[in-house]
Amino acid sequence: MAAGLVAVLIAAVVVALVRGGGADAEAGASTPVRGGTLRFALIDYQRSPDPQWGTNYAESLIGNNITDKLTWQDPATGAITPWLAQSWEYTKDLTEFTFHLRPDVTFSDGTPFDAQAVKANFDQYVHGDPALGILPNGAPLLAGYQETKVVDEHTVTVRFAKPSASFLQASSFTANAQPGFLSLSTLKLSAQQRTDPKKIIGTGPFVYESWEPQVKTVLARRQGYHWAPPALHHDGEAYLDKVVFNTVPEASVRTGSLASGAIDATLDVSTTDEKPLADQGFQIIHRGVSGTAIHFAFNSSLFPTDDLAVRKAIQLGWNRQTIEKTVLTPSYSIAKSILEPSVPGYADYSGSALKYDPDQAKRLLDQAGWVPGPDGIRVRDGRKLTVKLLGINNLVANKPAYESVQQDLRAIGIDLQLTVVPIPDYAAQQAKAKDSWNITAANRSRNDPAVLKLQFSPASGNTSYLSQASPGVDLNEVTQTLGKLETTLDPAQRAQYTKAAQDLVVDKYALVNPVYNPSQVIAQAPYVHGILFDAQSRNHFVDAWKSDGK
Amino acid sequence: MLRYVLLKLGRAVFVVWAAFTLTFILLFVLPANPVDLLFDPAELNSVPPEVRAQVADGYGFGEPVVVQYLDRLGHALRGDFGTSVQSGRSVSASIADVLPYTLLLAAGALVLAVLIAFGVAVVATSARRRWLRTLVESLPTAAVSIPVFLSGILLLQVFSFRLGWLPPFGDAGWQSLVLPLVTLAVPVAGPIAQLLVRSFATEFRAGYVTTGRAKGATRGRILTGEVFRNASLPALTIAGVTFGNLVAGSVITETVFARKGLGRMTQNAISTLDLPLVQGIVVFVAASFAVLNLVVDLAYPLLDPRLRAALTTGRTTAVAAERSIA
Repeated sequence: MAAGLVAVLIAAVVVALVRGGGADAEAGASTPVRGGTLRFALIDYQRSPDPQWGTNYAESLIGNNITDKLTWQDPATGAITPWLAQSWEYTKDLTEFTFHLRPDVTFSDGTPFDAQAVKANFDQYVHGDPALGILPNGAPLLAGYQETKVVDEHTVTVRFAKPSASFLQASSFTANAQPGFLSLSTLKLSAQQRTDPKKIIGTGPFVYESWEPQVKTVLARRQGYHWAPPALHHDGEAYLDKVVFNTVPEASVRTGSLASGAIDATLDVSTTDEKPLADQGFQIIHRGVSGTAIHFAFNSSLFPTDDLAVRKAIQLGWNRQTIEKTVLTPSYSIAKSILEPSVPGYADYSGSALKYDPDQAKRLLDQAGWVPGPDGIRVRDGRKLTVKLLGINNLVANKPAYESVQQDLRAIGIDLQLTVVPIPDYAAQQAKAKDSWNITAANRSRNDPAVLKLQFSPASGNTSYLSQASPGVDLNEVTQTLGKLETTLDPAQRAQYTKAAQDLVVDKYALVNPVYNPSQVIAQAPYVHGILFDAQSRNHFVDAWKSDGK
Repeated sequence: MLRYVLLKLGRAVFVVWAAFTLTFILLFVLPANPVDLLFDPAELNSVPPEVRAQVADGYGFGEPVVVQYLDRLGHALRGDFGTSVQSGRSVSASIADVLPYTLLLAAGALVLAVLIAFGVAVVATSARRRWLRTLVESLPTAAVSIPVFLSGILLLQVFSFRLGWLPPFGDAGWQSLVLPLVTLAVPVAGPIAQLLVRSFATEFRAGYVTTGRAKGATRGRILTGEVFRNASLPALTIAGVTFGNLVAGSVITETVFARKGLGRMTQNAISTLDLPLVQGIVVFVAASFAVLNLVVDLAYPLLDPRLRAALTTGRTTAVAAERSIA
């Protein structure tokens, strides 16, 4: 408990510092204006107003503004701070978490937010409800969930089958298929009935006014809201009367609409539009997507990436500066670890495993017996050093970044073949990745170091396909080292485990080649203030306002 | 005559059934599992198998393929195409919800396109100055070759972003319909105008025009009274082509102008591999095509006395063959 209090204090100080001296200096100088409608554009649309269902960015972003979570993760420090839960404690083995809820929170239909509501939400979130057509949306996030016990009206205990240190972060999770709380009346509805926005009842700072699939979602201020995360220092209701989320699929229409004043702010600003918009006086705000960097996950059981020398040569063999200069904007950054810098325990490998050293890369390949062939591509035992990559084209910087890596690797004799496709095709190929792809390239949005265990441990995600067929890798060591990330919440110990996990994944076994840190970028008119990026880089509008109040 | 109607009707039903079956085969033998697409691609490897199974069962994807096919076909016959994997809404309701918007756009664009096409054809055929005729005659080819995407963005740049006359996106009243209508009408007008220009020219050289002129009728009189009616018959034939253009054009138009509609829903359904929704849309579009063709087939004998005569004497197949050559 004392540790929690310290974390809250640190978080408060950091928030104060960031807010005082940060990009929003003008906002700090003037008082927020109440009222007005914020017109916001984004690329996706909400396919269902149910926030526990949605798996795209629009769905999570809008869901965050109509529901609240048990805890709030501080975006600057990663600390878990109070929200609907005022305090919490957990058993030493991290299988039971007890939350003490705020007693004064209500759903927008007037019903109380209490222990029963938490239990009903978590049970359905994890198990789904086949009769209602509700999917087990929360099963991946709350892996190992057993039950929620109602201790008293405002106390619940959540139990897991195995140690789940990352659950505390999951209790604040704001990204896809999130645990935002819905009223008991909403939980009784089928998936189809939940496409009526008026029936989606949350405790959030906004309520649904309307939902038009493909076109827009309109949120209105919730009367009487006064339980924003304490770390935000926002008292009372949201400032804005309304937020209109317009779906605008075309990039040029989004920027044109912003420039002509048809909208106030837009997400999904492409890298090429950032500078022109900034030159026109629009403010660019951004936050890296917490979790892992966009990375090449090497298939450690498939030729030729089953060779440690090849994996290390790929890490060393490409010039990061080229990508920074030609592909990325200042809103993005080149990866210096598999973890994004905001994840607690992040370590920097830019001077060691992840530096640009083509000579060292060549030496490693020479030593491993890879000799340059007639076309410059290296060969060993008559087999070419051809590496097949499967990537997703959902972010504009992906393909050009991979192409830059490809070009540099060719110079040291590695033939990197790129297949960069839309998400459905990626998902289709992913099923066969173990036997047919040397590299799958993606990122994972989860602001907790345990993301490494979830992603790379043979016990869970195993994106590197570690098996007995992975030469030179001690499977047990990887499982143990990554497994420790779920066993403690002691900050010092966790930092140590996080470092050890990165050492193993990035350096010792070179299971990944981190490329760059993706970012969420917003362009906003000068009169827009206070749009927040949370720890998962999703936006909250409780603190947003417009100088003109219109 | 009855045999002709039944034959055409049978063909229409076959087309719709074939569309259903083909999409079923295509979609269900595809390598992608729709269940995978419900999760973050990066998380796929960590989704527990039992969760995957539960989700698959929820959509009936766990059943044997034949059972799935018969089950879906049975429901489809009653107009039930299941629920969208991505939203949980019923497919029929989702289509019904956006259909009016696309119909309004398509019908409006078609009317506008026909007006443009007739305008072009009239000017091209009757203009006295040769340079004007040449210029106007080249317009349809140009209209067909401008990508809808490009013309949409250009119109937006000028009339929305620079002049601020019209809203750039959404469905806010008639103002937001103007630019999409023009964008969609231009490429659709192309083929219609081409056809009209050609048949107007042919008809003008026809004997009855000379006779009419000899009798002292004015050029305009002949145009409205005779040439229009005779030249319009082939126009009916290209209704199918036009319909295809409208459907394809609406996908892009609706995306550029961020409009609600069937085109955009199709694009989204495909890009998210929302199998039930894709199937519902394909069958719906196929049915529309089939009905349209059926109407054209049945209208032909009414408009063309030669065909009517042939049908009553029972030479159906020969006439059908003759028409398909024409």
